[in-house]
Amino acid sequence: MNGNHRLRRRFDVGLIHLGLAVWLVISLLPPLMLLAASLNRTAIFRSPVDLLLLRDFTLDNFGEAFDRGDFWFFFTNSLIISTAAVVITLVVCVPLAYGLTKLGGRTRSTLSFAVLAMRFIPYVVLALPLFLIFVNLGLSGSRFGLLLAHLAIHIPFATWMMVGFFDTVPREIEEAAIVDGCGPWRLFWNINLPVVRSGVTALAILVFIISWNEYLFALFLAGANAQPLTVGITRFLGGVEAGAQYGVIAAYAVLIVAPVILFALTANRYIVSGMTAGAVKG
Amino acid sequence: MAQGLNRFTKGWWFVAPGLILMVVVVGTPLVMALRYSLHEVFLYRFRHQVFVGLANYREAFDDPLFLRSLQTTAIFTVGCLAIVLVAGLLVAFLLNSKAVRGRSTWLALFMVPFVMTPVVAGIAWRLFIWQPEFGVVNQVAGLFGLPEIYWLLERETALLATIIANSWHLIPLAILVFYAALTTIPEELYEACRVDGGTAWQTLRHVVLPMLQPHILFVSIIIMTSAFREFDMIWALTGGGPGRATTVLSILAYNRGIAAQDMGMANTIAFTMFIIMATVAWLYITIYRRREQAA
Repeated sequence: MNGNHRLRRRFDVGLIHLGLAVWLVISLLPPLMLLAASLNRTAIFRSPVDLLLLRDFTLDNFGEAFDRGDFWFFFTNSLIISTAAVVITLVVCVPLAYGLTKLGGRTRSTLSFAVLAMRFIPYVVLALPLFLIFVNLGLSGSRFGLLLAHLAIHIPFATWMMVGFFDTVPREIEEAAIVDGCGPWRLFWNINLPVVRSGVTALAILVFIISWNEYLFALFLAGANAQPLTVGITRFLGGVEAGAQYGVIAAYAVLIVAPVILFALTANRYIVSGMTAGAVKG
Repeated sequence: MAQGLNRFTKGWWFVAPGLILMVVVVGTPLVMALRYSLHEVFLYRFRHQVFVGLANYREAFDDPLFLRSLQTTAIFTVGCLAIVLVAGLLVAFLLNSKAVRGRSTWLALFMVPFVMTPVVAGIAWRLFIWQPEFGVVNQVAGLFGLPEIYWLLERETALLATIIANSWHLIPLAILVFYAALTTIPEELYEACRVDGGTAWQTLRHVVLPMLQPHILFVSIIIMTSAFREFDMIWALTGGGPGRATTVLSILAYNRGIAAQDMGMANTIAFTMFIIMATVAWLYITIYRRREQAA
């Protein structure tokens, strides 16, 4: 009876790990296939097994992706827009979220829900009018215009998330500081900000990833001069697909996703805390 | 208390700059979208705009293509929601069992689909997973003697294939939220159920799921809004085809506005999407508030 029970338990533990392993394979297969294809000379007419075993190993695809894909042009645009988006979002949204938690009950909840509601907006409803507005203002095809569009995604997201972090700051610390004659600016900078530091890091990482991955706004608004990597690869794909050089496309794709995936794996702690912070309160 | 604190914290001074920027970057395009949707606007002569009232909306709801896209979007959204909830709960349960070691490493690896650039993920799925002859799915199916399916090229399977690929991208979010919620349920509660003779299913049904209910609601709203507006993944997988089989509203709006240059109609489609989503968001917020007041 006891032995039977133990056997049963071991079977369960085995099943649990099998389930997790299957899910891991499904999760990682698309990026792994990209990596495998990028490292093979001919990626087309090859079984996945051949590709994964690197039967036809080469690094040439990467050289070709850099040369023919105009990689650095798109990379520069992606990097500038993503970095600027992080800086502006932090400077604007961290105080915004902090201020929200300090406003009186009714004002706070009304504004918080307005912010929350904006997270649900379909992006095309912003991208289409922005296209026309930018044509009018002469902003179309500029990195600055694209950056403004990114902020429309980031501000509601960042504010909602940071409110979640500022809510965890103990009131007692603040009250003690006020009694000690702490002014509003120092209350924010010296008392609150250190407590939510890891939240700010999480926010910076997530905003960077979202901007780096963004495609819809870029397709509508980037014109010829501000195109980021996501537009770069689709154009490249259109150009070479006739020749079906999947290996070069895959190399290009690997170059795009490698930074975010490495980012995600090394800074996972922050991403988890950030994504769960605004999840459910109360 | 918070009201009194405001005197010392000057809340408005911190809020104002961000609030103004938000109104500019979100409010302006929203208002303009509504305005353009009430006008006849063509890209090639966009300075010549004629007010037409609700004519664009009437035209849209008479257009079989629009209605078809509405339906496709609904199927896409509900399909993604169902797959994400079930798979997310399942993986989170597995991950939460005591026997599993190195959970944070598992979790980190499970996050990869979520952070992977959707356009690139779409290309990877198209070229290496759904590809008819050498794609992983048909190769595996071939081992079991199943016939080759042209997943993205057939009207019958294209939508399903995009739903699966997009769910793959969103499931990590559900795993994360559900797993975080499960870790807060104390071990004693499971013990108590076992002592009372509850089966695993009863424990799940009567103890765990009720405790997860707010999280299920939250994940549902995030997944629904995300799937409803999805563009990148579908665009990279099928471009809206074959035929119109995967033309969701976002893609239809793009086709009408940029490709066909009919900005009035494109904004009408987009603004209709906004109204639908605003209704869903309003419902969610109402439920959320009621819960918060009850708590």
